Amino acid sequence: MAQGDYIELFRKRQGRRFDHEERTRKKEARGNHLNSAIAKKVRGLKAKQFNKKRYAEKAVMKKKIKMHGERLNKHQVAEQRDDSEAVPAYLLDREGMSHAKVLSNSIKQKRKEKAGKWNVPIPKVKPMGEDEVFKIVKSGKRQKKQWKRQVNKVTFVGESFTRKPPKLERFIRPAALRFKKAHVTHPELKATFNLDLIGIKKNPQSPLYTSLGVITKGTIIEVNCSDLGLVTPSGKVVWGKYAQVTNHPENDGCINAVLLV
Amino acid sequence: MVVYNFKKIETVPTAADFIDVVLSKTQRKTPTVVHPGYNIVRIRQFYMRKVKFTHTAYSEKLTQILTDFPRLDDIHPFYADLINVLYDRDHFKLALGQMNIARQLIDRVGRDYAKLLKYGDSLYRCKTLKRAALGRMCTIMKRQKGALEYLEQVRRHMMRLPSIDPTTRTIIVAGYPNVGKSSFVNKVTRANVEVQPYAFTTKSLYVGHMDHKYMRWQVIDTPGVLDKPLEERNTIEMQSITALAHLHCCVLYVVDISEQCGFSIQQQVALFDSIRPLFHNKPLVVAINKIDVRTEADLTEAERAALRTLETNGATIVYMSTFTEEGVMDVKSAACDLLLAQRVEQKMASTKVESVINRIRTHWQLKTPAWVNDIIPEIMDGKNIMDFVDPDIDRLLAELEREEEQRVELAEMEAEEQDEDMDEERVEAQNTVRALAKSIRKKKGILKEKARMAKKNNHPTLSRAVAARTKSLGEFVEHMGQMGVRTASKALSNLRGKATLKGGADALPARERRAATAGASTERRGRSPTRGGDEDAMSTGGSSYADSMVGHKRARGDGKKANQVPRDRSSTARDAAKVARSRSPSASGLRDEAQQVKLLKLGRNKAFKMSKNGRIESDRRIPDLKPKHLYSGKRGNGKTDWR
Ligand SMILES: Nc1nc2c(ncn2[C@@H]2O[C@H](COP(=O)(O)OP(=O)(O)OP(=O)(O)O)[C@@H](O)[C@H]2O)c(=O)[nH]1
Ligand SMILES: [Mg+2]
Repeated sequence: MAQGDYIELFRKRQGRRFDHEERTRKKEARGNHLNSAIAKKVRGLKAKQFNKKRYAEKAVMKKKIKMHGERLNKHQVAEQRDDSEAVPAYLLDREGMSHAKVLSNSIKQKRKEKAGKWNVPIPKVKPMGEDEVFKIVKSGKRQKKQWKRQVNKVTFVGESFTRKPPKLERFIRPAALRFKKAHVTHPELKATFNLDLIGIKKNPQSPLYTSLGVITKGTIIEVNCSDLGLVTPSGKVVWGKYAQVTNHPENDGCINAVLLV
Repeated sequence: MVVYNFKKIETVPTAADFIDVVLSKTQRKTPTVVHPGYNIVRIRQFYMRKVKFTHTAYSEKLTQILTDFPRLDDIHPFYADLINVLYDRDHFKLALGQMNIARQLIDRVGRDYAKLLKYGDSLYRCKTLKRAALGRMCTIMKRQKGALEYLEQVRRHMMRLPSIDPTTRTIIVAGYPNVGKSSFVNKVTRANVEVQPYAFTTKSLYVGHMDHKYMRWQVIDTPGVLDKPLEERNTIEMQSITALAHLHCCVLYVVDISEQCGFSIQQQVALFDSIRPLFHNKPLVVAINKIDVRTEADLTEAERAALRTLETNGATIVYMSTFTEEGVMDVKSAACDLLLAQRVEQKMASTKVESVINRIRTHWQLKTPAWVNDIIPEIMDGKNIMDFVDPDIDRLLAELEREEEQRVELAEMEAEEQDEDMDEERVEAQNTVRALAKSIRKKKGILKEKARMAKKNNHPTLSRAVAARTKSLGEFVEHMGQMGVRTASKALSNLRGKATLKGGADALPARERRAATAGASTERRGRSPTRGGDEDAMSTGGSSYADSMVGHKRARGDGKKANQVPRDRSSTARDAAKVARSRSPSASGLRDEAQQVKLLKLGRNKAFKMSKNGRIESDRRIPDLKPKHLYSGKRGNGKTDWR
């Protein structure tokens, strides 16, 4: 006990007050009443937070009750018991696969193979008009020329890119919207990596966007995955791989993509 | 001086609380209503404000944490080491480092999203961007969960650390467990340390304070230490070691003579030897405790020899019993005196000694040293001794008197000499000087009084430029005359000429003009062919100095001859002309002077009435708040404030 722990010292020397146990028990018992009073009274943001917390607590409680209930009905355990053969330890947690399941799986597999080579996670995208992607920038002495465009979406601009003289530049890609990295998920590893962008393979909206490097949902991008240590069947290290963008980068401020394997 | 108390560190919230606090703060303190119909700039600004607010709220709180916790490199090594022992230096630094990194990351997120929001083209896009920004900031904080919890625990523990001042007079009580360290501290201070008959009762540092020789002393009770290598020592023992290693103090090593503590005297001496490097350069007192159980006489020869080795190592051995309180005060004073002597010695050796040396008392040199202890009475033979303390006082007084006499004689002799060779001429010269001095004094007095008057009245003051303009020519001439400049008409003809040329007779200020009209009303104003050359005519506003060309030339010649004319003549002339212009009736749109005079009179009458009523225009005016014409009758189709 340190010198400043005066409360503990007092308790050690004098003990707790005589009705301490009773008081704590009563307080706990009144706890629910208090809680419900608060639940009735809170409004607005506080209510939202309170209810969320309460909801989580209740979910835990229900789960617990259910678990206690499960322990009582033992039929599931009994079912597993009638496996006649002795199974090695590493196979113990496997359930015997039903015949129907195997069949349906194989059919699915076949369908997949038929579908073709470019089977991407997001096959369809919402079309995006030019008026949404480009903002018209007025120019000229009297601000009446309207041939300049500002790209309003996230873009990838290669490192070697140099701007045209600003006066003649037709497409302006603002620096704030230029991205260099993407969060790429490996679907099999179920892990996400922050990888460098190499280029834009294809923007499904239009070839113009592809050439401008506009990144929208569904765009196929090329990422530098040398850090991942992927190896080709022949043993070479793969460093560039394609990935498809799964979010709206202009709305989220980041690029999320799924690696195409 | 730095005061170490860590009680002021603010609470470190848990990660979840942190997020709740910041987000609800954002919700409370930023506007909450926005519509898609608003101007896009306004929408952008609405969301940008939210992002920036959250960003600053986070970084403020993190900065608070970073500044509150002490930086181990900056604090006293004792505390740095204590923190290392108690909370693990690396862990502590890592946790604070993580806070710093979190702050940087949040800064970056805030900046990036503020930039992205600039290009938001719809409410929806701005809103999702804001949501992403706040979400990312909160995620960064959520990752700091462990560090925040650790810091909160450290904070709670640090708050309870005893406030030890590492620079003051300190006595550290050390020794094996259960030898009676805490009992001693309880006896000399009010620290109220726990005393129990088992080992390791005391598990942390305790500090108590006592008085000795009118000074405050800090007594530190340490946990007992066992005789083992440093690496094997546990946290409890390490606290004692840290205190011993870093505090400049007197070490009081307690030895249990009765061996009730479970360690023999030889073992206790061995421990002393093994931790002796920590006592280097410190005054040492070995207190042999529990002499009520076993006295010094009961010691065996081997034990005596062991204790003697302590003495040879420079320790002072004192016997005590905290049970009977025998010798406790001796131990206390022995320790205090040793430390005090050492501290004084060090102070004398240091460079700062000059500033305190006058505070150190020097002792009288007496014939026989035995007299030092004599008590000096205050009154002796009915006289205060203090009156006769200075042995030289008679001699000094006599000297002083002699000097005074000599001076008086000298002064008399000089006066006689002066009386003799005073002749007429000198008297006259002296008189003129006196008169001059008198006039100067008088003038000074007048000026002073004038300044005082000017300050006293509570009217708006004129700016310097305006004041200069309102000065009349006559005043100027008079002033120059008083200054010793020749103001005869010849000398100033240039000035006069200029003034007349510019504004005619109106060039002259009103007062002079009035005099002029009184004196020569029949004369035509402005240009007069006659020239009044004498001083008198000039002072009454001389209306005739039109012959400017001649006057000009002459004045110049005069100026060259006699250096009495003001140096910057042209400027004075210009000033006078300015006065003339501002005052002429034609300039203010009036027909002639008579009209101007009339106007003045009318104005004065008006002002008189006003001031008599106690009102000044537009100042204390109370307007008619309910004018009759607006509150009576029916309303037609017209407006409510105009009928
Ligand atoms: N007879 C006698 N017993 C004493 C004396 N001084 C201390 N004791 C006893 O020695 C036991 C230990 O005293 P403490 O003061 O707790 O010893 P400590 O050195 O602080 O012990 P730790 O905190 O464990 O290091 C207690 O039971 C005291 O009553 C003494 O002078 N005479
Ligand atoms: Mg103790």
